[in-house]
Amino acid sequence: MTSSERRAVVTGIGTVNPIGTDLGTCWDSLREGKSGIHTIQNFDPAGLPVRFAGEVVNFDAKQFVDKKDRKSLRMMARSIQLAVAAAQLALSDSQAQIDDLDPTRFGVEFGASLIASELEELGHASLVSANGQPGIVDLGKWGSQGLSNIPPLWMLKYLPNMLACHISIMHNAQGPNNTITESDVAGMLALGEAFRILRRNQADYFLVGGAESRINPLSMVRQCLFQPLSKRNEEPAKACRPFDRQRDGMVLGEGASVFMLEDLNHAQKRQAKIYGELVGFGAAFDRGLTGRGLARAIRAALSEAEIDPQDIDHINANGAGTIPGDVWEARGLHEVFGDCRPSVPVFAAKSYMGNLGAGSGPTEIVASLLALKHGQLPATLNYQEPDPACPVTVATGELRSISKPYFLKTGFTELGQCAAAVFRRWE
Amino acid sequence: MRRRVVITGLGAITPLSHSVAELYQSQLEGRSGVGPIHWFDARAFPTKFAAQVKNFDLGRFVKDPERWINSGPNSQFAAAAAQQALADAELLHHSPVDRTGIGVYLGAGEGIQDFHNMIYQIARNYNSQTRAMNTVGFAKGGLESFHAGRESEQELHTTSSHLADYFDLQGPNYNCLTACAASSQAIGEATELIRHGDADIMLSGGAHTMIHPFGVTGFNLLTALSTFNEAPTKASRPFDLRRDGFVLGEGAGMLVLEELEHAKRRRAPIYAEMTGYGSTGDAFRITDSHPEGRGAIACIQGALTDSGLSASDIGYINAHGTSTQVNDKVETVAIKKVFGDGAYLVPVSSSKSMLGHLIAAAGAVELIISVMAIRQGVLPPTINYEVPDPECDLDYIPNEAREKRVRHVLSNSFGFGGQNVSLIVSRFEN
Repeated sequence: MTSSERRAVVTGIGTVNPIGTDLGTCWDSLREGKSGIHTIQNFDPAGLPVRFAGEVVNFDAKQFVDKKDRKSLRMMARSIQLAVAAAQLALSDSQAQIDDLDPTRFGVEFGASLIASELEELGHASLVSANGQPGIVDLGKWGSQGLSNIPPLWMLKYLPNMLACHISIMHNAQGPNNTITESDVAGMLALGEAFRILRRNQADYFLVGGAESRINPLSMVRQCLFQPLSKRNEEPAKACRPFDRQRDGMVLGEGASVFMLEDLNHAQKRQAKIYGELVGFGAAFDRGLTGRGLARAIRAALSEAEIDPQDIDHINANGAGTIPGDVWEARGLHEVFGDCRPSVPVFAAKSYMGNLGAGSGPTEIVASLLALKHGQLPATLNYQEPDPACPVTVATGELRSISKPYFLKTGFTELGQCAAAVFRRWE
Repeated sequence: MRRRVVITGLGAITPLSHSVAELYQSQLEGRSGVGPIHWFDARAFPTKFAAQVKNFDLGRFVKDPERWINSGPNSQFAAAAAQQALADAELLHHSPVDRTGIGVYLGAGEGIQDFHNMIYQIARNYNSQTRAMNTVGFAKGGLESFHAGRESEQELHTTSSHLADYFDLQGPNYNCLTACAASSQAIGEATELIRHGDADIMLSGGAHTMIHPFGVTGFNLLTALSTFNEAPTKASRPFDLRRDGFVLGEGAGMLVLEELEHAKRRRAPIYAEMTGYGSTGDAFRITDSHPEGRGAIACIQGALTDSGLSASDIGYINAHGTSTQVNDKVETVAIKKVFGDGAYLVPVSSSKSMLGHLIAAAGAVELIISVMAIRQGVLPPTINYEVPDPECDLDYIPNEAREKRVRHVLSNSFGFGGQNVSLIVSRFEN
């Protein structure tokens, strides 16, 4: 069989995110318009200008993984634990039996980002090395006394490739293994790459997704310094307002989503249930953030899917709720979809959970796959006042019937890396 | 027939050089780039030496170095190496090539964390009795003392966006970070993007430094680094019986990959052809590679299959060769398994004996050396090879460069945590 004939379908979904850690709860939240954004509970955020986020409350990785894997959880930062949990859910959901899978045809692809050290692990080393002089550490003391007070495997707990490493070890996946680190679009790029590898016949199934948690003291301090974050501390659930005129910035969230992406023949042979087919993918760099790069990525994905803009049921947007980002995205969407009549509705899942970073693209795709399954598109939250600078038709109010078989997912980083993916409902 | 991918530009910043010609010449001369760490005071660390880039001045490569003022050395090295590679391929801004067809795929590492302010703020807010942090105090202190621009430049997508923005490369933009395999994996997947038609040209490679207090701390804790403090230039000794760990290096390697017909149409210089790429996971342990080289064997075989070559076609192996006990033994086992009796006939050497380990950037720099070996017909040696290890009994090109014309070179990169990548690069023949 030639590579172009091979098809990739989603046969399992695992998600651990602020609006649910199982698909039923996630769908209920989407259907009911229930936000997962609230005041931070993981730690005391009183020292921060932004004190709310989309959190996975009471997350306990032990409840998700096999008994044999629980010991290794100690070597995983929270971002890795979220990924490992979602991967286990995806595999279980796919009902694939590990013993029936060829390990050499089983790949793992993840989107991941910088992972912050847990500060306590450096506590003692810091105490013995800091001189009391602001911003100066005695490297002699650090080297001679500090270092030996840090756990020996400290670094391994925080390397971004460890999501994919642990998952490959737990499930004996010996095929292609990669970790893409392009911030908010990392998870989508990982999905696109797995799609290409599967189509070119170098793997038959992937655990593919993304995960990130920045809801810890060090990451939050850093993000507060350089990200355009919403400051609506008094009304967190209203803070993420994609394309709304009153939006004031991004809301951070945490979570992971993982797909079992499988060669269609293999999936059919084992009579797997199929959520949808990934039919097109594109990526580009939008230099100057004009929207033209995003439009190019979208056109590439539509072209690979061999469809036109009007074949799309809805656009699952990046929709981060930043002032410039939404204008940029709207320009890109308008360039491709501006002539569609009736206009193609835009849904922004971040309005429910915030920006999950490397976990955002895959998690938002879960929302649209659930929409296809239930035949209804949820509303974007907090869209009240249209912004003339954002010429898009935002899905809002009542749930809307799914009327066409395709949806488009867009994603990008604030620096210009863009991706677009087209999924088709399975029939 | 699938689209063929050739290499039309090279650039490198390494502990031995600020240019590709100088890099290759130093490799042939067997010069070591290792010396005492001067970026910070490492005298109290178990390892006090590394292979550092010397006298680097970004202003010699780009017009406006102030643009990178908040960037870490990862992005600065990347910018300089990319400038060389794009100039070499005649693809700087003034060229008439469609910029939307040029993408970027890097295996670039993170920027450098603000060690001093971070440790100071932890010390101020850590209670050694309760072993708990005062996170409110830490947040306030961090917000006051961390530098916003430098913090944002640590993020893992900044290097790839800088290159795309500065050099006007509007095609697909990726960065992967699979530890020591990263830039090889980037080059492999960039090749695939061109084969598939997602781009006509990809700027691909890696850039990294972990020669900073957190990096040396992390590797020293894992006891992965050599502690040959008495004789740093002798510390990186791949395949030698007395090897005791790897030596940290730093730098960047960049290649311009291009679809063959595209390169021919614009009469670009063609250095070599990318012919094989294999990627696997060990799925074994995060701390050790599989003792029988399971993942390494599969990825070398994957690259051979992809290239349509057999093991006997390979004229030289540029090894991962880190100089750790386990890596060099397992890599030898893997080569023997794939090459059979032919393993003793194919010369193998480790560039890391001179350059140290450039971590994410290692694979790209080593592929550049492989390309030069094909072009010039001289294979670089493994230096510091003095005492043979009975378990490592291949031809490691000990200490002296060797003249040999080769058509196909295999370059291995095996990442910490079990990601394995093998690339095959071939002499270009029409």
